[in-house]
Amino acid sequence: MAGTFRRVADVFGRIPRWVYIVAALVLAIVFPMLEQAGLMQTLWLRLGTRTLVYVLLAVGLNLVLGETGLLHLGYVAFFAVGAYSTAILSSPRLGIHWNFWVIIVIATVLAMLFGFVIGMPTLRLRGDYLAIVTLAFGEITRMTFNNWESVTNGPGGIPGIFPPNLFGWVVDKPAEFFYLLLASVVLVVWLLNNLKKSRVGRAWNALREDEIASHHSGVRPTQVKMLAVVLSSGIAGLAGAIFAYYQQFINPTYFLFMQSTIVVCMVVLGGMGSIPGAIVGAVVLDATPEIIRQAFTQWLPDALGSDFLPGVQTALQTDFDRYRMLIFGLVIVLMVIFRPEGLLPDQLWRREVHDEDPRDQEHTRQHLFDFEEGEKDLEV
Amino acid sequence: MAEVVLDVRSITKTFGGLKAVNDLSFVVREGEIVSLIGPNGSGKTTTFNLITGLYEPDSGDVLLKDESIAGLKPGQIYERGISRTFQMLRLFSNMSILDNVLVGMHGRTRANVIDCMLHTPRMRREEAESVARAKEILGLFPGRFPASRHSQPALSLSYANRRRLEIARALAGEPALLLLDEPVAGMNPAESLEVMRQIRDLRDMGYTILMIEHDMNVIMGASDRVIAMDHGEKIAEGAPQEVANDPAVVEAYLGKRGADTAS
Repeated sequence: MAGTFRRVADVFGRIPRWVYIVAALVLAIVFPMLEQAGLMQTLWLRLGTRTLVYVLLAVGLNLVLGETGLLHLGYVAFFAVGAYSTAILSSPRLGIHWNFWVIIVIATVLAMLFGFVIGMPTLRLRGDYLAIVTLAFGEITRMTFNNWESVTNGPGGIPGIFPPNLFGWVVDKPAEFFYLLLASVVLVVWLLNNLKKSRVGRAWNALREDEIASHHSGVRPTQVKMLAVVLSSGIAGLAGAIFAYYQQFINPTYFLFMQSTIVVCMVVLGGMGSIPGAIVGAVVLDATPEIIRQAFTQWLPDALGSDFLPGVQTALQTDFDRYRMLIFGLVIVLMVIFRPEGLLPDQLWRREVHDEDPRDQEHTRQHLFDFEEGEKDLEV
Repeated sequence: MAEVVLDVRSITKTFGGLKAVNDLSFVVREGEIVSLIGPNGSGKTTTFNLITGLYEPDSGDVLLKDESIAGLKPGQIYERGISRTFQMLRLFSNMSILDNVLVGMHGRTRANVIDCMLHTPRMRREEAESVARAKEILGLFPGRFPASRHSQPALSLSYANRRRLEIARALAGEPALLLLDEPVAGMNPAESLEVMRQIRDLRDMGYTILMIEHDMNVIMGASDRVIAMDHGEKIAEGAPQEVANDPAVVEAYLGKRGADTAS
């Protein structure tokens, strides 16, 4: 079975990369039109918009988790900083209504600053210690927003966030938000892909591979790690700002630790260190539970009669969030067993996870060749 | 006499009660190959780690071209001109052969984050220069890194070629001083011979080299000067033949009775 999978994968692997990029873009551009033409329920468009927020987050976290190899479990804190900056600066809460562009910049920069401040003490730590400390900072951030009632209105949240105004275009429909997010995703992915193919990207990877050797090759670990953390915080801040505009209401429950975990799962599912992987991971993990819910509460009952599995149907209708986590867990467990390198792995990681990938046969041949070469030398 | 590149002035490093390096002084002059020898545990690698900034000396000073580098971080020392290889290979195994060398140029390249994000003309020019230089460095090992293999991962290389790649990565920093920690460890005699010749070639190209080595053929064949260490102290220094016959050195390796029998 694995062999068949490889053969199929190889066929798809031969299609040039730009074909996939164009196809994905076309799909994304057509998607909201389906809703406007009445071919799709608004529910799916809303899901698509939320997915794009997750795509931004996953692509951002991939910088830290995938490229640099730091397990950061408080990523949602930066998302919260972006969202709260927007909510405070563009809502009746304090009566401030600043321009969209100003707020986007402030939200991004504030999140970056926050990333820097949290990074200062935490980046000295490694592995599990870093994970625990960042987790704690994530929770501290949420609790701060929860208790800072004079500004954030505490658990009550901030309602009535004004819709963004982009040079006269008021964005307030789901389809418009979808396009706004899509534009952000394209911009962010382009910038990060460029970074990946530069000295900065190489330094991140070198650091992940061997910190001591990279330090002895002129890479300054703290600086380089900080850069990854600050940039990824900025992306989360941007995502948070657009999210707040889209929701028109935020409260601290949007920024639970679970959100950080979900984004980590998306990066791992897609393939660490791979930008297309992060995108696919976000889409799959955000859409799958929703599709399963629709299948059990709508499609299957419609097809098989409403008494089809009555317990499951009501359970999914009333308690979906709990089952959502169950589905998440299942997907991750299956993936770790069958495809530990992720759905669309980066070349680097595929090698790290499977030491002897049959697809690396060429390398093995080359290895033998080297060996023979050595033998020949002996005879001289 | 040639200019002094590295001046180690009575450095000491203790780990708990153990004096790993004790009051060690020596110099390395421009364009020479100096070998550091001694039994296992005599403090050779610790000396390397002190010079490259992995450890900070408890006392004493290390000068690179009359500038103190003691207490600087490895990255800073690399930028000032000391590159090294490791006793246990430390390549970026999953990165390509070319990328391994390019990482070695990190401290020499200047494109900032914005340049890299936008791939500005400045960044592209620098990148093209780096790639050209990296290929040139790989070309110093004729036949070992053909262009067709540049994009393959470092782990696909044979052991001997991985050692060569580590040297190539160290050369990418355009070092004033190259530290090689057991460059031929684990190689067969033919491979050792080739690497020894390459080390001499590097010296002839103007590189200054300080190496730790156990292979007597390489020490005798390549070094201009040998420094012998035991228990963290220098016990002999001089031309290879002189040091090899020094009673203190023989004793360090073979023990007291061995020294008696030898004489």
